[in-house]
Amino acid sequence: MIKTDVIIIGGGATGCGIARDLALRGIPHCLIEKGDYAAGATGACHGLLHSGGRYVISDPVSARECFDENMILRRIGEKCVENTGGLFVRLPGDSKIYRERFLRSCAEIGIPTEVISSSRALELVPSLNPEIEEAIRVPDCSIDPFRLCMLNMKTSELKGGLSFTRHRVIDILKSHGRCTGVKAIDTGTGEVKEIYGNIIVNATGAWADRIAQLAGGEVPLTLSKGSLVITNHRLTNMVINRLRPASDGDIIVPNEAVCLAGTTSLAVEDPDKIAILPVEVDTIIGEAGRMIPHFNHTRIIRAFSGVRPLLKSQKLDSRESSRGFQIIDHQNGMYSIVGGKLTTFRLMAEKMVDAIMNAFSLKKECETAQKPLDGQEELSGYPLSKRLADMKNIVCECELVTRQDVEKIIEQTQTRHVGDISHRTRLGMGPCQGGFCTFRALGIMHDLEILSPGQSVGSLRDFLQRRFRGIRHALWGDQLREEQLVEYIYLGILALGKRSEPH
Amino acid sequence: MSLIEYDAIVIGAGVAGLTAGTLLAEKGKKVAIVTAGEPTACLSTGCIDFCSNMDNPEEAIAALPAHHPFHLVTKTQIHEAFYDFKRRMAGAGLSYTGDTNRNRHVLSAIGTFKTTCLTPETMQASPQNEQENIHIITFSGLKDFYPGYIISRLKNASFSTYDAGISTTMGLASLFEDENFLETFLLWMEKQNIRENKIAFPAVLGLESASAVKKTIEHRLERPVFEIPTIPPSMPGRRLFNCLKDGFRRAGGVIYWDWQATGAEKSGRLIEAVITGSHGRPNSLNAKAFILAAGSFVGGGLRAGHSNIVENIFDLPVFTPGKREEWFEQDYFSVNHRIGRAGIIVDESFRPVEGPWDNLYACGAILAHVEALKNGCGHGFALATGRAAAESLLEAGR
Repeated sequence: MIKTDVIIIGGGATGCGIARDLALRGIPHCLIEKGDYAAGATGACHGLLHSGGRYVISDPVSARECFDENMILRRIGEKCVENTGGLFVRLPGDSKIYRERFLRSCAEIGIPTEVISSSRALELVPSLNPEIEEAIRVPDCSIDPFRLCMLNMKTSELKGGLSFTRHRVIDILKSHGRCTGVKAIDTGTGEVKEIYGNIIVNATGAWADRIAQLAGGEVPLTLSKGSLVITNHRLTNMVINRLRPASDGDIIVPNEAVCLAGTTSLAVEDPDKIAILPVEVDTIIGEAGRMIPHFNHTRIIRAFSGVRPLLKSQKLDSRESSRGFQIIDHQNGMYSIVGGKLTTFRLMAEKMVDAIMNAFSLKKECETAQKPLDGQEELSGYPLSKRLADMKNIVCECELVTRQDVEKIIEQTQTRHVGDISHRTRLGMGPCQGGFCTFRALGIMHDLEILSPGQSVGSLRDFLQRRFRGIRHALWGDQLREEQLVEYIYLGILALGKRSEPH
Repeated sequence: MSLIEYDAIVIGAGVAGLTAGTLLAEKGKKVAIVTAGEPTACLSTGCIDFCSNMDNPEEAIAALPAHHPFHLVTKTQIHEAFYDFKRRMAGAGLSYTGDTNRNRHVLSAIGTFKTTCLTPETMQASPQNEQENIHIITFSGLKDFYPGYIISRLKNASFSTYDAGISTTMGLASLFEDENFLETFLLWMEKQNIRENKIAFPAVLGLESASAVKKTIEHRLERPVFEIPTIPPSMPGRRLFNCLKDGFRRAGGVIYWDWQATGAEKSGRLIEAVITGSHGRPNSLNAKAFILAAGSFVGGGLRAGHSNIVENIFDLPVFTPGKREEWFEQDYFSVNHRIGRAGIIVDESFRPVEGPWDNLYACGAILAHVEALKNGCGHGFALATGRAAAESLLEAGR
């Protein structure tokens, strides 16, 4: 039995941010996540640290929050934020009226803008469509959501916070109508843990209603699927937005060696049953290709979807739903925190922990906006070349990850999941999408005796099946060629396809 | 127009292209192969997969779907193709073992068993079941081989690690070509006190002299030695390619290396020349007949666009298995992905149907309906169709 003060369910940006805030205010806590950190919408977004420009007309309050948080995060998290700057580009035919409203609204809210000519924009981003009319410069940034979650959890860890990843909450324990704890199952071993606490925070995003229901509450949400594609190259060094009302495929974000483009917006019912449609991939490429024409010829290495948990509103288009967040006090010891966005995760955490402090009748001010994220001194920062410490032992050639990097993560986390290594090192995130390095990473787990005999081939099969879900709809050109090679390696050379073997 | 006119030009230096080219050269034809570079054979295990989904490959052919191009090859052609292959490889110092009516197993690097028809000498002693008693030698830091995978499946296997200071298969293979290294290594091996019946190595036992290295180790350790094929870059695949390439050159063939075919010059119902990009300027190479053996997608013979599949050199009609969303199944392991059926449909003389060309033949992985992974048609299919296409060309010239 584990006893703590606050139980956080959900290891996305919000949950991890709450853990950090609680840690800095000295409140014992325990975070439970059913997959790895950033496994839900946090890890399935653009990785755009909004300037607020995107919401400046549809949701000015959110826009202001975004701008303020952007300024805070680039200060406290320099190793997970890349200050790229962003452009809103206006293509021939895009509304001039929208442009005027955009500039006026930014000025009212206080988001700095600079109108630049198309030739100046092309100097900044040579791959832009030369036909653009003009561009507006805004302070957008690129952010690594995986690293962001890990760094937030680092503070929690340093202050003695508990956390269990790969643990699924199966029941909420109650006594006299109040929530007193949770039952969570270790998805690897099947072991069930009982964790007791005074307050439960439900930060499970698209899954919030399900968790609330376990405690007899409800969270009215609209679930909206957004799909994105990743390119093989970094086609732009700045964030590129389309200067028009939010629509499909109107944002391109550079992240390390690649670019992410999206999104789409389709209502969904079940966050566990989402599939990418080929038409979404084509739409995103077509629209992104209008801003950066090379999108039509470049390799798409993967497509993926995330589910936005939006507060229920009357409006039909989910892009028009409020991006603001809400804290729901279920009056039984559980709080749900829903809505919001990656950019405002810290603010959401602050408000949530304020409410907890209030419930505990404690007073300590939030420090998350002032203190830099812990653990950054160990990180390399952005230039790829900084990772080239050891040429001899590179196990992931696409992302320059060494055997030592992999061993370190395995020793730290005792993980049996290749995905956990990817989230912490970028292993397998390049053009071959783990085609070569997964075999190696699992082999290293073998060497370190993390995997018990017989587990490795099962893990390899699971990984390949999950990997395929993301790449299946983006297969043509060189990427199809690469995929056929990977298929040949695993099913031909390694004979992984066959279930029956000689005895 | 080039000054030289060849009797035949083969596009592609893989197993199919080299088999076709060598037969033509042996029959006295003036033959050239144009290739963009190393073929996918260099990435392969070096094993000759013929039809590995059944115990008896010859019977497996009969069970293939009616439109499978294997049906265009006669039994005699298959036997002759395999006979010639074994003869040539033995002559080149890399014997192959196996029969066309019986598949065998090769232990894979994850401890599964790959089914294949012919194996190179260095894999001849590969275990045929999980009970066999083997000792694996691995090399510290080697990034493409992890004995743990195998140990977890083969209960009677153990391993030891030698530190050669090198982490790649290619680097180790070049070390094994060095007699001094081999001697130091053998002295270490003798101290290991190995008790198992067989000794296994990742496939790094040299590049040119693998058979000899294997025999030396067997002689000193007094028990069979075998190699386990690794993921690319693969030494056994490279050895296979080198032997076939040398055989073609010895038979009088010419290879235009790094000359990627990009198009063709045509006249009436004849192809007159292939246009190739080479060292800065395009060139054309004339011939009386052409064999297209450029491989499938990985080899570069076919290219998939957003919604279509094209063959870029002769612009031949390509059989396209439905719309893009139908190319791949949801189940990664299904091996039924329809993309495997894409390719060029040929008639019984291996000429592309629907194409107007009288002097163009196609063979190997570029053919439609092969479904190489599903049917286990690898290099064996390339050997058979390479020979058949060449014979058809000879027949037409008679």
